[in-house]
Amino acid sequence: MNATIRAPRSFPYLLLLPAMAAMLLVVLFPLVYNFYLAFRNMSLYHFTDHRFVGLDQFREIFSQPVFYVLFGKSLLWTVVNVSLHLAIGLFLAVLLAGPVRGRAFYRTLLILPWAMPQYISALTWRGMFNYEYGAVNLILQRLHLPAVPWLSDPVWAFVAPVIVNVWLGFPFMMVVSLGALTAIPHDLYEAAELDGASAWHKFRHVTWPQILPVLTPAVLLGTIWTFNSMVVIWLVSQQGRPADQTHIMVTWIYKVAFAYYRYSYAAAFSVVVFLILLGFVVFTLRRTTPLESKT
Amino acid sequence: MMRVQSSARFALCALLALTALSCAPKSGGRAARKIVIWEQMDPEERVRFEANLAAFRLAHPGVEIEHTPYETEQLRTQFQTATSGGGGSDLVFGPSDQVGPLSLLKTIQPLDQTLPAGFFDRFIPASLDTLDGHIWAAPDQVGNHLLLCFNRKLVPVAPTTAEEFVAMAKKLSRDGVYGFAMNVTEPYWLVPFLGGYGGWIMDAQASPTLDSPAMAKALAFVKSLRDQRLMPQESDYQIAETLFKEGKAAMIVNGPWSWSAYRKAGVDLGIAPIFRLPGGRWAQPMVASKGYSINVNVPKEKLPLVIELLTFLTSPEAELRSVRELAILPSHRDAYRDSTLLQDPYLAVSITAIEKGRRMPVVPEMRVIWDAMRPEMQNVMNGVKTPAQAAKDMQKAALEQIANMKK
Repeated sequence: MNATIRAPRSFPYLLLLPAMAAMLLVVLFPLVYNFYLAFRNMSLYHFTDHRFVGLDQFREIFSQPVFYVLFGKSLLWTVVNVSLHLAIGLFLAVLLAGPVRGRAFYRTLLILPWAMPQYISALTWRGMFNYEYGAVNLILQRLHLPAVPWLSDPVWAFVAPVIVNVWLGFPFMMVVSLGALTAIPHDLYEAAELDGASAWHKFRHVTWPQILPVLTPAVLLGTIWTFNSMVVIWLVSQQGRPADQTHIMVTWIYKVAFAYYRYSYAAAFSVVVFLILLGFVVFTLRRTTPLESKT
Repeated sequence: MMRVQSSARFALCALLALTALSCAPKSGGRAARKIVIWEQMDPEERVRFEANLAAFRLAHPGVEIEHTPYETEQLRTQFQTATSGGGGSDLVFGPSDQVGPLSLLKTIQPLDQTLPAGFFDRFIPASLDTLDGHIWAAPDQVGNHLLLCFNRKLVPVAPTTAEEFVAMAKKLSRDGVYGFAMNVTEPYWLVPFLGGYGGWIMDAQASPTLDSPAMAKALAFVKSLRDQRLMPQESDYQIAETLFKEGKAAMIVNGPWSWSAYRKAGVDLGIAPIFRLPGGRWAQPMVASKGYSINVNVPKEKLPLVIELLTFLTSPEAELRSVRELAILPSHRDAYRDSTLLQDPYLAVSITAIEKGRRMPVVPEMRVIWDAMRPEMQNVMNGVKTPAQAAKDMQKAALEQIANMKK
């Protein structure tokens, strides 16, 4: 009797087993191994004979100014990108949710940057940012504006990947916002109109509270993705050019691990990034859960 | 309920069977007849490589060969990551300096022990590198050196001194054409000028020697070409090559791998050793070989077939295919002595340029030296630092990174 009762309970677990095994292999094991490496001295010269060094790697990370510079740049990169993703995405979603002729066409057109492989977009944009032959400067010069050293000046070389990442990322926020907007009951707007609410008041008091529960996880995800996103900045700046001035934390970790072979140092740096993001997620969820339950 | 129980048992058995299958060693059967190669080649070079693979397949029915192209840095990164996890390609082909880190990481085999005794007697000595007393790569070519390539329609005779070169470039830089173009983002292109001013990147103990008057002069010389607008303001490999192919740059510094594409693009190509620098020394490009290394993870039963392919790819037959069509100098003695070599004007000049060059070290420190030079070279080109300051800073960075690497 017992066996027949246990069988249906164990069966779902059995079905979950392959996925769990895959998760253990591709998520949990690398994470644990990364933590293990962070406390050792694995490098080119100690690839097979690495030993436990305690917190040495962490001490080195926090004692070097490069950590604080990279942390600042990573924050700037994330805040600017996510803010612009959200602002542009939400703005376009509000426009598309209204009575627009050819809405399907615009929607498709605006999703295109998202559909393009990041690798292709980044390399194409890189070509367009060339000082003399790139399309961006040619257009600026046609408009009688000065050419910008997009790839050779440290500030502009940071602005260039931001532009590319904003271009690639706003469709995601637009799609999420559009989905949330279409789910808002129309009678709320009718009631607001009857009360004489202006367009801004309708957005502020009807639209915004209704889409907030959807936007919060999207922004949270967007922040983590952007903080950890290295493809665009790595390719547009050609691995941190000029002169390693355009690194954020994750591109620096990649370079230290695979160009300088400092595996344990890179692992310790990754642990720091992981803890920063974990802290951010816990803080944000604690702040936003009560907010969502109110709506 | 019984049905549920038996379904559960079946699912568990299927899962275990699948797991067992996926974990089975890949050494036997079909896998032992399949060779995987990861390579870093120029597209034209790859066409000849594929022709060689086709010839091998014809002689060895049933053997499957798969090759994946990579860019230099990516090749090393992918290979070291995959190999340290027990995987990776059977053969890896790339420039000689990759053997430094790969051998230290114990990802490739010492070929002087793996291959039959006397195997390396067939190569010209200039194509072989030893590191820690072992040979880690079997070369299929020697050179990989930089020369001055010029468009004969614009430059009838190649300049032999820096003064002639600058005067010529000034005369030609007009109407949307630059006198010169070069990849100024990679230090490999700076080295000929460094050598021409009497400097070098490291001493005999592999300690960097970057902070030298020669380095400052080399950086200042290249920067002056940009400042005089004799070359584009942002000139990387793609920009320089595109301009030269389109006839919008009269001269370019590049290697033998590029010539075939220039000729195909309709450029009336001339080549010459890079000119003498003020002081009278010829520019001194690095000379290196490119070759094949064997992964440490290749199973014993598969090794003979891998060695057979390696022997074929470094045979006179395979090498001469590249020599004739791409003007790449062979590493095999018999191919090198082939009479057609000296009849080819490109190869004759290429041999002269190699004689003016200097062998690229293959020690692991090279990796860090490149990475220390690159940002400072870019700083000089962008006017952020003076050449003397950049030379000092690249030395400091190289010493720091070497110390970090050995921690």
